Amino acid sequence: MIRYQSHSSATLSGKEIGLLYEGTRVHSRAYTDSTVYEIEMERIFSRGWLYIGHTSEVATPGDFRVRKMGRQPVIMIRGRDDAVRVFMNRCRHRGAAVCEVESGNTKFLRCWYHGWIYDTVGKLVEVTQREAYGPEFNQDAMGLTPATRVEIYRGFVFASLATTGPTLREHLGNAAAMIDLMVEASPIGELAVDAGAHKTVYRGNWKLVGMDGYHPNFVHASVIAAWQRKQDSGMGATHRDDPFDDKAASRTRDLGNGHAMLDLTAQRLAHYEVYTKFLRSVPGGPEYMEAMQKRYGEERAKLLIALAGDPHVGVFPNMQLINNQIRIMNPVAPDETEVIMFPVRLGGVSDAMNAVRIRQHESFYGPAGAGSPDDAEIFERAQRGMMAQVDGWIDLSRGLNREEREPDGSIVGRITDEVPQRGQFKRWREMVSAD
Amino acid sequence: MTVYSIERLALIREVEDALYREAELADAHAYDEWLALWTKEVLYWVPCNNDDIDPMRQVSLIYDDRDRLEERLFRLKTKHAHSQNPRSRLIRTVSNICLQDFDAATGGTVTSRFVLGEVRLERQTEWIGRMKHVLVRDNGQFKIREKRVFLVNNDIPMGNLTFVI
Repeated sequence: MIRYQSHSSATLSGKEIGLLYEGTRVHSRAYTDSTVYEIEMERIFSRGWLYIGHTSEVATPGDFRVRKMGRQPVIMIRGRDDAVRVFMNRCRHRGAAVCEVESGNTKFLRCWYHGWIYDTVGKLVEVTQREAYGPEFNQDAMGLTPATRVEIYRGFVFASLATTGPTLREHLGNAAAMIDLMVEASPIGELAVDAGAHKTVYRGNWKLVGMDGYHPNFVHASVIAAWQRKQDSGMGATHRDDPFDDKAASRTRDLGNGHAMLDLTAQRLAHYEVYTKFLRSVPGGPEYMEAMQKRYGEERAKLLIALAGDPHVGVFPNMQLINNQIRIMNPVAPDETEVIMFPVRLGGVSDAMNAVRIRQHESFYGPAGAGSPDDAEIFERAQRGMMAQVDGWIDLSRGLNREEREPDGSIVGRITDEVPQRGQFKRWREMVSAD
Repeated sequence: MTVYSIERLALIREVEDALYREAELADAHAYDEWLALWTKEVLYWVPCNNDDIDPMRQVSLIYDDRDRLEERLFRLKTKHAHSQNPRSRLIRTVSNICLQDFDAATGGTVTSRFVLGEVRLERQTEWIGRMKHVLVRDNGQFKIREKRVFLVNNDIPMGNLTFVI
């Protein structure tokens, strides 16, 4: 396989790597260099809060899902006590993965190397031929290793491998309210992440998947042409006029802590009438609107309905909530990234309406969608291009002349401005530079 | 021993030819000619994660009715479908063609298997799977009313599946 990564001849320190981002530009080595990737794995993916999965994916005791924290394999499992935990997917004996399937329901996790058995709360319940171990062998201390910290926000399970640091709530900061926008698209405030997943992979760095309001009219020109042909088709229903025009009411936001979004609120509210006309034509649509108004009040419901559960937010470093999906980014190598897209089903909503949302998702996302493959294609072109490192700086200054700071500390720009990229790299620099 | 009548053998050949012609046009990215092989109402379905899913509750790779299929092909024909620029070079072979509940006068279901080699840019990818076609006799010709593609790899991370599978 042809690789698009470079190796520094001298080992770079975290501080030196942090200098690759200068506020208005970033050096392409940040995307290509294997030392940078190693430091990211250590300082971002082994220290920070990572999204693991949603509690609805492990709805009953014994349900489990295999996930990754950076490169490290973990299991999210609901124990017999109903608590959701995250464990290293690794037998305490000789290190084999104890869970070889992606998901399922089980009473026990058995390592088939030497037959050790763990239960759903991680306890080591059986060591085969136990008599070979003396009194110094403490079986109680040999349960599956839990992720150091696990916290849950509205069903979103996050884990961190650092013993200290901000709480999940502190880490999420302004982004918590954006998670609310997706959860509260359900009139009962519940998401079911049970519609399967689109699993995609591209040969490029994980940081290329960002929040970019400048690219759609170029990368997705073919989709926009299709939407113009038939307005209610696919996601055209929520993307009226041109939300990505520089003069559009849409905004970019740096929410702090590396979280960033394309704020489509004003754009969507402006097209509330025409969108809800479409929504009313979907079976269960009128009932949905009524239930939303009852639950959230008229003003909030209008916002939630207009956004259609799409906060369009990136929660640093590995999660995005876009349109109808929760997305996980797994950096596999400096030049290889998996993007796993989980369409959600809204609780308290007709099957017909959820089916429409799944069809809208498929129209743009996934390996055969109209949108994501073109994103991946362009990310791969970027990765190839960035191997040219004479004049290797990438410019991220767009909109610096017109961004504004909000009272809550977030930074706002026009939809095509590189506010999100600067926000993400600011946090990236802090994390890679910290010893 | 099964004894095939000449009529049965002729029918099998006719169905094989229909699938081969479809494969040729798909490999050639001849979208208009490929679409002309279909009936007015269509289902073009490539399940995701598993062969046996409920498309109303779970996500598919492709779940196209005629509108969505026309939109897919419209987009591929624009000049800006980057993930098909350059286009994938494709060769597929279709085999194990079996007629199920098939009537020469009206049509029926055909199951088959395929191996599809794709080369695009500097990458070679192999796509393998089963297919299930529903063919109907229409003005003397067999037309495709339904096509289901069950990819063996439908549950692993995959790249670009924007060509016609």
